[in-house]
Amino acid sequence: MLNAFRRSFSRNLSSQAKKKTEVTLTDDLIGQAIEAEPSLSKISKDFWERCHETFQNHGIATESFLRIVTGNPPVLTRHPKQIVHVLENWRSCQFGEYSFHLLITKYPEFLDVTDGSYLIQRVTYLKELACTNKNVWKLLMNSPGLIKENSAAIEDRYQYLTSVMRLDVPEIVKSEVFSKSLEVLKTRHMFLDRLGLFKPRSIRADPDEPTKNHRLYQIVDSSDKSFATKIARVTLFEWETFQDLYRKELREAEEEMDGDDDDESDEE
Amino acid sequence: MLRIRKILLVTPKRWKSRKSNDNDKKTTKNHALEKMDDFYGSVFGNRWKSIRIALLSEHKYVSVINNFGDREKTTASLENAGAINIKDLISLEKEKLQKENTGLGNEKTTYKMDNVISGIIKEQETRELKSIYPESESSENEARDDLESRRIVNVEEGTGGLYEFVPATKIKGMEDWIPESDHYKYYKTTHDFPLSFELEKDFSMPENISLYTFEMGNTTDFMSPKKCSTGVLSHYLMDGASILPPLLLGPFDKGEKILDACSAPGGKSLLMLQNITPELLVCNDIQESRLKRIRKVMKEYVFDFEEKWEGKRCILSKSDARNLQDYGSYDKVLVDVPCTTDRHSLHVDDNNIFKGGRIKERLRLPEMQSEILANCVRLLKPGGSLVYSTCSLSPVQNDGVVHMGLQKAFQDHNITCTIKDLSSVIRLFTNIFKFENSQNLKYGQLVLPYLPANFGPMYFCKIVRN
Repeated sequence: MLNAFRRSFSRNLSSQAKKKTEVTLTDDLIGQAIEAEPSLSKISKDFWERCHETFQNHGIATESFLRIVTGNPPVLTRHPKQIVHVLENWRSCQFGEYSFHLLITKYPEFLDVTDGSYLIQRVTYLKELACTNKNVWKLLMNSPGLIKENSAAIEDRYQYLTSVMRLDVPEIVKSEVFSKSLEVLKTRHMFLDRLGLFKPRSIRADPDEPTKNHRLYQIVDSSDKSFATKIARVTLFEWETFQDLYRKELREAEEEMDGDDDDESDEE
Repeated sequence: MLRIRKILLVTPKRWKSRKSNDNDKKTTKNHALEKMDDFYGSVFGNRWKSIRIALLSEHKYVSVINNFGDREKTTASLENAGAINIKDLISLEKEKLQKENTGLGNEKTTYKMDNVISGIIKEQETRELKSIYPESESSENEARDDLESRRIVNVEEGTGGLYEFVPATKIKGMEDWIPESDHYKYYKTTHDFPLSFELEKDFSMPENISLYTFEMGNTTDFMSPKKCSTGVLSHYLMDGASILPPLLLGPFDKGEKILDACSAPGGKSLLMLQNITPELLVCNDIQESRLKRIRKVMKEYVFDFEEKWEGKRCILSKSDARNLQDYGSYDKVLVDVPCTTDRHSLHVDDNNIFKGGRIKERLRLPEMQSEILANCVRLLKPGGSLVYSTCSLSPVQNDGVVHMGLQKAFQDHNITCTIKDLSSVIRLFTNIFKFENSQNLKYGQLVLPYLPANFGPMYFCKIVRN
């Protein structure tokens, strides 16, 4: 019952959006898309029109449609039913209509996730970490790899962020941290920590009290040069050397751990 | 039943969330870091964070080729691994300096450290005063009312001690208390003894010494030392900055008598032995265990050490460097004094000088260091030279101690000295080490830890007895 209501509501919404955003798919626009993605030239106009109509029926504007097909050309040849199925799956994640459009326009490869139950399962898992649907959407907008990534790898970074760096969810979801490896995260964090520029918030500290630490997005989303010179305020040479040194440290720690594990198993 | 299960499920989570990480633990290493943040932050300003990260990261080594082993073979394998001979780096820098035509000239330097230290002393005094009398002067009357209850009383002495007379300027139970600010007061720079400065113009690497390093920014590790055909190890790895005090003690002439006053673990002595010219090298240290370490190193690296060297050309002596009495008998003395060992103190908890129980020892280090220096100056022949060195960044233990030591040598024994200004010589090493600006140092030079050249810290000052 609820799902039926949701579907009819979304259809109404998309028809309204259709009225607002309807733009005819001209040869000129198709030409521009082919220029951006030459592989689209092999596809006949019928497919273009059929696919365009399908997306338009779901409230997705022509401009967004063109972005989607240039980003993920196989979508154009897919049967409308298949497309609708995937769109409905994503809609059921309840990110909100506008946010959902933004998400698939930014990452057209998300339309390749055809397994609805996997999608729901993954979004539910992410919701456990990020607390709200809105935060899950932010996570996916910043780190699209989360949709496919191994949950153990996600868990490692999440644990590091919350237990070692003591960051809270709103700060985590604003950054692209899950697009980076744990090693990159650790290296940047330890660099600031050893410089004396990052102090984990005390457990007893008032959560509303602002910290002097740099924000997570500044730490992980910046280029090497701006991280070194603007965030850490040291030279790029020092940062590059630290990366080498810390890589060695991590490797040694890993070897030590492996050694300890071997000793334990020998004892057993 | 349900309730119990709920509690059981919840408890581990609560424990987990409250689990603190390493940063929260009040280890001696963390305590040392806090102290350094406080003091060196004021001394070095914004540059402290660069030094801090270098101190907390893995440090870099220099390899001393052992002349008693298969020298050519070791050299070839190090060069194959990409290591560079320090001799080549120095001659390159020499050429560069000659081209620039800057020469090794005199530079008028303005000295800046005095104001910084006096600021630190004032700040520390205020902090200590506040820790004893937390209220400000305006609330003095109110404070007096409950003064009695806040005065520190050693419970072990019992309440009977309270009836003893204590002057108003003292606090019962704190007779042995040394305020941290007293430690900084060891740093004095007003001259009340004759002291001259002379520019050291030239430096040449001793012929027989081969040292290898990797260029700045290269973090490659050296291969481990291997046994050579003579039974000794191929090369000795030491902190790169530690090569400077023995090298700058030169030039070494044949038949000289050399003393390494605080010798353990023996790396610097071994480097001087590679030169083979000294008639006698005395390696002194205070404890038997430390002497054992020196003997072990010598046996591992010097061919036939026990038969041909020990007790003949190399003497291991166990004595407090303050009590050595062969006055006026050495041509060269190396005084690498016990210090706060800044890098070591940030990495190892055991026997750390920043341990609560060693606070007095730490605060009185400069006094002990200056006594060692003053005594070692007396051991020099007139015209003989001495290098004082520490592996600390503290201006108190460095320039402060040189000042105190030379003052003491003059006041107690009428010995005058000349400080050799090494600011020109260190320019030959600038492509290997990062040095502190000479303007911030009064007597010596300081190698600053810097990630791409992560050596030191190492302070050294060359003194010649007049």
